[in-house]
Amino acid sequence: MRRVLIIFSLLLMLIFVGGFWISGGDAARSRAIIFCQAGQIHTLDPAGMTWMQDIRAGLALWQGLTQYNPKTLNPMPGVAKSWAITDHGLTYTFHLRRHARWSNGAPVTTANFIFAWKRMLHPATGAGYVEMFFHISGAKAYFYALANPHAMPRPFSSVGIKASDRHTLIVHLNAPCPYFLDLMAFPPFFPLNEASMARFTVRSGHSFAYYNPRFTRPPNLVTNGAYRLTTWKFHQYLEFKPNPYYWDRKAVRCRELRIVSFSDSLAAFRAYQSGAVDVLSFVPPEFTAALLRQQRAGLRHDVHYRSVFGTYYYIINCTRTPLNNVLIRRALDLAINKRQIVDDVTRLHEKPLRVLVPPGTIPGYHSPHGLAMNVTEARKLMRQAGYPDGRGLRPLKFLTNDTDSMNTLVAQAIAQMWQRNLGVRIRIATEESKAFNQDSVHGNFDIARAGWYGDYMDPTTWLDLFRSGNPNNHSQFSNSQFDELMHQADIEPKPARRLALLEAAERLLVDRYMPAIPLFQYTDGLMYHSREIGGIGPNVRMITLLQYIHWQHRPRGGTHP
Amino acid sequence: MMRILISRIGQSLLVIIVVYTCTFWLLMAAPGNPFIGEKQPPPAIIHALKVRYGLNNPWHAYWAYPWRVITRGDMGPTISYANWTVLDVIRSSLPISVSLGALALLIALWLGVALGMLGAVTRGHWPDLTLTVGSLLGISLPSFVIGSILLLVFSTYWALLPSGGWGDLAQVILPAFTLAAGFLAYIARLTRSGMLDEFSADYVRTARAKGLPPNRVIVRHILPNASLPVLSFLGPAAAALLTGSFVVEKIFAIPGMGEDFVNACLDKDIPLVLGIVMVYTVMLVGFNLLVDIAYAYADPRIS
Repeated sequence: MRRVLIIFSLLLMLIFVGGFWISGGDAARSRAIIFCQAGQIHTLDPAGMTWMQDIRAGLALWQGLTQYNPKTLNPMPGVAKSWAITDHGLTYTFHLRRHARWSNGAPVTTANFIFAWKRMLHPATGAGYVEMFFHISGAKAYFYALANPHAMPRPFSSVGIKASDRHTLIVHLNAPCPYFLDLMAFPPFFPLNEASMARFTVRSGHSFAYYNPRFTRPPNLVTNGAYRLTTWKFHQYLEFKPNPYYWDRKAVRCRELRIVSFSDSLAAFRAYQSGAVDVLSFVPPEFTAALLRQQRAGLRHDVHYRSVFGTYYYIINCTRTPLNNVLIRRALDLAINKRQIVDDVTRLHEKPLRVLVPPGTIPGYHSPHGLAMNVTEARKLMRQAGYPDGRGLRPLKFLTNDTDSMNTLVAQAIAQMWQRNLGVRIRIATEESKAFNQDSVHGNFDIARAGWYGDYMDPTTWLDLFRSGNPNNHSQFSNSQFDELMHQADIEPKPARRLALLEAAERLLVDRYMPAIPLFQYTDGLMYHSREIGGIGPNVRMITLLQYIHWQHRPRGGTHP
Repeated sequence: MMRILISRIGQSLLVIIVVYTCTFWLLMAAPGNPFIGEKQPPPAIIHALKVRYGLNNPWHAYWAYPWRVITRGDMGPTISYANWTVLDVIRSSLPISVSLGALALLIALWLGVALGMLGAVTRGHWPDLTLTVGSLLGISLPSFVIGSILLLVFSTYWALLPSGGWGDLAQVILPAFTLAAGFLAYIARLTRSGMLDEFSADYVRTARAKGLPPNRVIVRHILPNASLPVLSFLGPAAAALLTGSFVVEKIFAIPGMGEDFVNACLDKDIPLVLGIVMVYTVMLVGFNLLVDIAYAYADPRIS
């Protein structure tokens, strides 16, 4: 009996020691900056990057033709040292730096860009952001010819991407795109080092090679940005060290950067409070209101929080009765007290919005007015629509997701406002996010929660969502007047006139047709002590450029248990 | 003996097949598409991804996974962590969950037996009463409450131990005790009541009568008999602890399999869910098989 117990205990001991030895990471040295993200890295293949955390890591490891200016986020020279825009904004000629190098020392050439872009344009790559390439002439036709098994594939030479030599890349667009240089800094347009990926080729077929995703793992991954990836322990951490061949290596002051992620924001906050983590890429939602209160009272100085380039809004299914009646959609917007939502429900005092594109974020763009709260007017509209005090109106299905407990609270508060002000009854359906996304796509709702962060500094990042036929147009709004204005903006070469056309288009959305009800502008932030960490800060797009992060003085000693 | 072995193995295989089938069809029936996020890619991209993961034809996918595991020992790529295969994920997280569970079981076993003995020996006095209340709390409090209390005391107030993570021995202590708490309390109660039953047995009186010192009576004579119920409890306890705990892993930010499993379900990562469910199933079925065989071996009446 005793022998059984002892053998069993020894066995357990062995399992513990063995498992711990296999899985235990080496503890970080105290000079590494430890940066904590909200979610795990999903992929380090630039073609697949759509998540915020992936994009942030991508921007630290790679560099596109342009890069973001750390202060303004405007595009500035990256791999391309200069460019010329000719042909009324239709032709971009990029001149690549001769000193740009991969992390294995090889030069970065136009061939690297052409290889990566051609791979992006193949449907089998599964690139979520492929539509960004459709600005380039011939790209859309090339992609859809490959996607359709019955179509004749088109040659890549039909796409407006040409290299005149190893350092000159010429891109032709369909129509002027004022934010094209901005896109050039974004992960889908990063170059790839074909030579280092070649040995991961799984099957080469017609113009397509599939690469075993192991090419993204150290020591296989070759990148051309500020850092190189030296360690990646799944679910534990990624370790970045400066790329010794990076052309601007003097600007990289951090010697070692560790990226960790905690799925539980409370655990992340505890780690930050105890000093085990130096930067939190988010402010824990459970505590945001309390932390901001402490900050205002001068009790802490490490909450870096601001309004960002994102909108929280509701979309209305424009194809279902009775919401296909624009009078009811207007009435719903007019009956909401948005100020009360941000002050009493979210309690984060976000800016209430009457428009979709956050005002003041895009230089030269003047937002339309939108609707101000007016319950009397809303009641009148309901009477005109034939539903005085909501009589005869069926209960409306309101769809929301559970990613943030705030969503349901906001929905309940607004449902109450609609009930009280208009007599409209709401049935709230809270769904897990995958089911929510599917029901949104299939239009299985009357009103649904939505949120959108702009991908580039242009109103179209929102307005495109309401074009007929856009796969992200979940409100299924279709209006020829709006589509026509958007089309005119597409082909308009003069930036000021183009913005005026877009203003007119947004005015149609928020003053007349209301396929969506804007609620407030998102806020977001970071947590770090600015006397310790420098080179980062919250910006309007929440793009954290990790290449500039550095210790302010010297690392805190012995803080890593 | 041989017949039992064969029939038990057959039953185990059947259980694994049933679990696989149920999991697969539940995943297929669950709402949501793993390839649609908040931003929807063009349909051609979704189609290409479905083809890559073999999900464009559910019947084909149903056979493909087991076939792949049997013929190539490979469970394919995951959907939500595209750079890692299912096997990579399990290889990195299973050792963590298993080693944490092993330490928790070790703590539960030895501390539980020791405290149970202490309770039995001091029956009716304050150590026993304290232990009775403590074990009641240990059994009834859920692990997120125990974990939070331990964190508050040892990490926040006293700053003795780190609040989470994995890789350092100090980081293992709090989660191991949290995980062990319920089992520890249960083992202590089993030991205490087992020992109290034995105290009045004839052989104990004989041992005392022949002048053995009380410690020796307890350790040599009473404990082996009193720990029989503890031993039979170890089978299910091992199965429960070694497969990991989502709650404890989440509280202490431990990169174990429990958390990967829940994330995989939320992301509708079909290959990863199937892979982890199969690992859990094989472990549970395996433990039960071992216990059954051990019983059959020990007790000739079972045949």
